[in-house]
Amino acid sequence: MTKKNKNVKKRVTFSDDTTITTHHTHKKKDLDYDRPPVYIRKTITTVPFHLLALLYYYIKVSNNYDTLRLLLTLIPLQIAYLIFQFNRCTIYGNKRLKINIPLLLITIGGSVLLSVPAMVIIILFGAPFVEHIFQTWLLALHASFLAYPALYSVFNCDFKVGLWKKYFIAIMIGGWISCVVIPLDWDREWQVWPIPVVVGIYLGAFVGYSITAYI
Amino acid sequence: MDEKSIKSEILSTSSDERRIYKSRIQKFKKSHFHYVVLLSSIAALQFIAIAFFTRGFLLTRHVLNDLTPPFNNTHTPYEAEFNKAVILIVDALRFDFVIPVESDTANQYYHNNFPVLYDHFVQSNGGTSSDSSILLKFIADPPTTTLQRLKGLTTGSLPTFIDAGSNFNGNVIEEDNLIKQFYENGKEVLFVGDDTWDALFHPFLSNNSEPFESLNVWDLDTVDNGVINFFRDNLINRNEKSHKWDVLIGHMLGVDHVGHKYGPNHFTMKDKQIQVTSFINEIISSLDDDTLLVVMGDHGMDHTGNHGGDSIDELESTLFLYSKRPNAFSESINVDDYSVTNMGKTYKQVNQVDIVPTLSYLLGTPIPFNSLGWPIEEIFNSENGKRSMMRAVLEQLDTYKDKMGIDLEDGFEFDGTKEHTTEQILNRAYLSGDFELAQKYQTKFLEICKNLWARFDYHSIATGVTLMTISTVLLLSVAKVIPSIVIDQMVPEFTPWIIIMTLVSTACFHGIYFVYHQPPFLNSILWSTLFGAAIGIIIGCCIPIFDRYSLGWIFIRFFQDLIADYWTCIGTLVVLMHALLFTSNSFTIWEDKIVSYLLTTFGMLTFYEFVFLPKRQSTTALLTAKISENEGTTSGVSSSVANSNSLPLSRFARLLGGYHSLVLLLCTRLASLITICRGEQGEYCTPTFTNITNYSNWCMILCFLIIFLIPACIKGYYNLTSSYQAAAPIWIDIFLKGILFINFIYWGLTAAENTVSDLDYDFTIIKFTIARIIAGFTLIAVNAGWLMGPLCIKLNVHNTDVKSHQATILGYTNIYGSEYFLLVINTLMALMLYNKPLAQVSIFLMCNQLLSILEIIDLLKLKENIIGPIILGLLSYQQFFSTGHQATIPSVQWDVGFILTDTITFPFTHIAILYNTFGPHILVALSVALLTLWNQPPDVLKPQTLLGRIVSNSGILLAYHSILCLSSFIWVTHFRRHLMVWKIFCPRFLFAALSLIVTQVVVTFGTVAFASSRLITHINNIFWG
Repeated sequence: MTKKNKNVKKRVTFSDDTTITTHHTHKKKDLDYDRPPVYIRKTITTVPFHLLALLYYYIKVSNNYDTLRLLLTLIPLQIAYLIFQFNRCTIYGNKRLKINIPLLLITIGGSVLLSVPAMVIIILFGAPFVEHIFQTWLLALHASFLAYPALYSVFNCDFKVGLWKKYFIAIMIGGWISCVVIPLDWDREWQVWPIPVVVGIYLGAFVGYSITAYI
Repeated sequence: MDEKSIKSEILSTSSDERRIYKSRIQKFKKSHFHYVVLLSSIAALQFIAIAFFTRGFLLTRHVLNDLTPPFNNTHTPYEAEFNKAVILIVDALRFDFVIPVESDTANQYYHNNFPVLYDHFVQSNGGTSSDSSILLKFIADPPTTTLQRLKGLTTGSLPTFIDAGSNFNGNVIEEDNLIKQFYENGKEVLFVGDDTWDALFHPFLSNNSEPFESLNVWDLDTVDNGVINFFRDNLINRNEKSHKWDVLIGHMLGVDHVGHKYGPNHFTMKDKQIQVTSFINEIISSLDDDTLLVVMGDHGMDHTGNHGGDSIDELESTLFLYSKRPNAFSESINVDDYSVTNMGKTYKQVNQVDIVPTLSYLLGTPIPFNSLGWPIEEIFNSENGKRSMMRAVLEQLDTYKDKMGIDLEDGFEFDGTKEHTTEQILNRAYLSGDFELAQKYQTKFLEICKNLWARFDYHSIATGVTLMTISTVLLLSVAKVIPSIVIDQMVPEFTPWIIIMTLVSTACFHGIYFVYHQPPFLNSILWSTLFGAAIGIIIGCCIPIFDRYSLGWIFIRFFQDLIADYWTCIGTLVVLMHALLFTSNSFTIWEDKIVSYLLTTFGMLTFYEFVFLPKRQSTTALLTAKISENEGTTSGVSSSVANSNSLPLSRFARLLGGYHSLVLLLCTRLASLITICRGEQGEYCTPTFTNITNYSNWCMILCFLIIFLIPACIKGYYNLTSSYQAAAPIWIDIFLKGILFINFIYWGLTAAENTVSDLDYDFTIIKFTIARIIAGFTLIAVNAGWLMGPLCIKLNVHNTDVKSHQATILGYTNIYGSEYFLLVINTLMALMLYNKPLAQVSIFLMCNQLLSILEIIDLLKLKENIIGPIILGLLSYQQFFSTGHQATIPSVQWDVGFILTDTITFPFTHIAILYNTFGPHILVALSVALLTLWNQPPDVLKPQTLLGRIVSNSGILLAYHSILCLSSFIWVTHFRRHLMVWKIFCPRFLFAALSLIVTQVVVTFGTVAFASSRLITHINNIFWG
C-alpha cells in the first residue's frame, strides 16, 4: 500500500505538477520548518546580458548567421551565467545553494535530451519534417540550452517547484511570436529557417530571465 | 425478462413532472420558432451586406456575343496587305529587354542580349536594308495575367476579373475575337505553345496545333523547344510534310518562367534571351514577301520576375512588326518617338487593344465586334488605306457604342469646343479624314469604357461594410453580450418587430426611390428593396435590445466579455490574428500554414492545461458550476455529479485530456502535410495534392484503410461514454463502413482510369451508378432515417432477478451528443464521395480533430466559452486547405462537378462542387451544436436553455466568419489598387463571403431550425412524454 502511494506521488511530481500539490506541501513545510519557498531575488544580476551580446554577434558580426557557432558559444556562456548570476540569485529556503558540479554536467545531458521533445514541438508547429532537419535540431538545441539554467534548477529542486516553468514558457512565447516574420515576402537573408525563431527565442529568454523574478 | 415493465418503471414520471414537461416543451417550441426567425433575419441582413459590397467592388463588363459580319463583294472597306502572318508571342517580354541600354545602367543578365528587333528596326528605317519593320512599346492593361492578356490581345477589349456573361465551366471565349475572325474568314490558324490558347480558342485553331502544358513554371525549356521545333518543321525548313497554315502562332513561355523561377536578375535569363534571339533570326531569314511577322510580349515582369499587377514594369511590353517587303510601313516623322535613352522612357507607346484593328487591317479581316483599339499609325503606307481603315474603325466603334448603350453626349469635349456632339465629331472625321481627331475620339471612348468597367461603386461598398459591421455586432450581442437568460425572454419580441419594421422600412425606401430617386446609388427596385429590408431588420433587432440596455452598457460589456477569462482571451486573440491576416499579401498567401499554426497553438495550450493544471482551472470551473447549479437537476444525476464542475479534474480526466490534445496536435500536423500550393508560395511549398499522388497506390491503400479507421475512431469516442449502443452500431458499422467501401470502389475505379494507360473497359456507367447510389443514400435516405430518432442508449439490466428492478441506461450521459453526431456522420458520408482520395484522408483526420476538440472542450468545461466555436471555425479553415483547396479561383476542383452527371445539371453539379469546396465548413457548422450537446445528460438543462446555448455557440461561429468577411471587405477595398488585388485579395474576399453564406445557411436551417429542435423534442419525449 505504501509502495503504491509512493509510486503515485512520484508520478505526480514528475510531471512538474503543480502548483496545487506543491503549494500544499510547501505550506505545510512552511509551517513545519518555517522556510519560505524557492524564489529568485529581484536584482539586476539575473539579467542575461550575454544573450544580447550573442544576438549582436549573430546578427551583425557572424558570417551569414552561423547558427552552429552561435550554439557553441552559447553553451559555455549559459553555464557561466548559471554559476555566476542565476544560481546566486536563487534562494532555496533562506540560503543560496552552492553550485552542484555533477548536476551541472548532468543538466548538459538533460538539455541535449530536452532538445528532442523541443524538436517534436517545433515540428508539430509546422517546421519542415524531412528537409532542414538539422537546422530544426539546432534550433531545438538552442531552445533547450537557453532553458539550461532553469533546467538545472528544476533538477536541483527534484522537480518539485513550479516556478521554473515560467522560463520555458518565456522561451516558447519568444519563438512563437517570432514566427510572424517568416511568411513575409521581404526576401531578406535572415528570413531563412531557423534564423527568425533563433532570434525570437533569445529575446524570449532574455525577457524571461530578466523579469520572471518580478511576476 | 420483462424489459418493458422495467423501462416503464425507470422512466415513469409523476403527473406533476409530466405537466411541467408539457409546459416546458411548449415554451421550447415557441421560442425555437423565434430563434429561427431571429437567426434567419440576421442571415438575410448579412446576405444583403455581401450583395451590396460585391456589387460595388466586383467590376463587371458586359460581354456582347455579337459577331462582326465577314466582308462581301459589296462591302470591302479595306484590302489585305498580307496573306499570311507569323505571330510569335514571347511571354513577359519587357520593353527594356529588347532595346539597347547604356552600359552604365545596364544589367548584365537581362539587358542588351536581345538586339535583333531593334537592329532590324534601325536598319530598315535607316535604309541599310530593303525590308521594313516597326518596333513599339506595347502597354498592357492590368490585370497582367496571361489569360486576361490573351483575351485582351485577341478581343481588343478590356477583360475584368469576372466577365459577366462568361460561362461557368468552359473557358472558350464566346465574344468576337481576332482568332475567330481569322477562322470565319477561312484562314487556317496553326498554333504552338502555351495551352491557355487551346482552352480559349480551341474551336478556331487548326487540328494540327500543338499546345503545351503551361502551368509548370519550373520547366523552362519544354514549351520553348516545342515552339522552336514546330516552327522549324512548318516554317523554317518547310517541306511537303509541313502543315498548311495562313496564320502561324507561337507562344513561348521561357522568359516568363525564368522570371517566375529565378527573377530577371539571373544568368538563365541571358541564355533564354539569346535563344529567342537566334530563333527570331531564323524566322526572319525564312520569311517570304507575303508574310507578316509579329513579335510581341503579352506583359512585362516586375523586379522579382512576377506579374499580375499594374506597375510600370509589368505593363511595358514589346511589339515588333516585320516584313520582307520594302516600305510596307511608314515610320513616324518625329525621330524622338523612337529614342531609346533612359531605357526607352519616352519611346512611342501603343495600347495593347490596338493590336486587334492593326492585324485586322494588315490581314484584311473584319474588326472584332468588341474591339476598342485604334490601328497603329505606322502600318499605313498609303493615305487611302489609312482613310478607309479609319472609317471602318469608327463605324465599328459606333456600332459597339450603340449596342452597349453607352451614352457619350455629356462630358465629351476636346479642342476646347464643347459643341461637338458625337455625331458631329464622327461626321467631321468621316468627311475630312481627320485621322487625329478620330483617334482622339477613340481615346476618349476607350477612357469612358475603362471608367465604366473599372469604377468601384464606393456607396455600395460603404453600405456593404456598414451593414456587415452592424450585423456582426448584432450577432455578438445576441450570442454573447446579452446574457442568454435575457435573450430567452426577449426572443419572442424580436419576431414582430423585425417583420413590422422590415415592411415599414421597405415601403418607405420604395416611396423615396419612386418619388425622389434617392439615394442615387440604389438604381433599381431590387436594390432599394434590399436596402430597405436591411434597415428594417436592424431597427427591428435594435428595438427590443435598446428597450432593456443602453448603448454604453453594451459597449462596455462587449469589451469586458472579450477579455473575460483566459480562454476567452485566447479565442479573441485567434479571431483577431486570423482577421488581421488580410492586411498583408504574404500572410494571406500563407494562410494555410498560419491556420494550422493557430490550431496547433490551441492544442499545445490545452495539452499544457491538462498536464500542468494551472491554478486558474478551479476559478473558472467554480464560475461555471454556479450557473449549472442554478439550472438545478430534476432527476437522476446526484448533486455531487452536478457539482463536479467545481472539482479539479481527476487524474483520469487529465490523462484523457492530454491524450485528446495529442491527437489534435498530431492530426493537425499530418493534415497540414496535404497541400495544393498556390503559385505565390513558389519554391517554399511542394504540392502533395496532385493527380499523381491522389491516384497513387499508397494513397489508395490509405483510402482502403480509412474504411475501417473512421468507424473505429468514431466508435472509440462513442465508447468513452458507452454510447456505442442501439442505433450507433447500425450507423457506424453498417452505413458508414458500407458507404466508405462503395466510395472506395468509386475512387479506385477513377484511379485505375487515371493510372492504367491501356484500359479497355469503360467504367463510366458503373461510376455514375455508384455515385448516384451513394448520393441518394447519403443525402436523402440516411437523413430520413435520422428523423426517426435513432437513440444510442441501451437499458442494462444488471440483475437477473426481475424483482430488484435495478437497471442503468448505457450512454445516458451522452444521449444528446451521440444521437446528434449520427447526423454529422450522414454529412460526412455525403462529403466523402466529392472529395479526392487524399482529401478523404484529410477528412478522416478532421473526424479525429473534431471529436478531440469536443472532448477537450467538455473536459475543460468550456462549453459556453467563445473558444469552442472559434476553434471549430479554425478547424474548418485548416481542413479547407488540407482538402486540396486554396483561396484562389483556379484551385476550385471543377472536375468533381461531373461526378453525378456528365453535363452541367442544376442541382447535381452545384451540390458536388459545394460539398467539395465547403465540406469542412458544412461539417463544422453542423457540429457547432455538439459543443453544447456532447456529453450533455438529458436532465440537467431545460430544453429552452439548451437551445439558447446552441444558438449562442452558433452565433459565435457565425460572428467569427462575419469578422473574417468584414476584415476581407475592408482590406480588399484598401488594397483595391494593389498589384495582387485580383490574384490574392479578391479571391480571398469571395471565399470569405461564400464561406459565411454557407455557414449561415447550414447553421440557421440545418443546425438550429432542423436538427436541434428535432433532437431536443425527441429526447425529452422519451423521458417525460
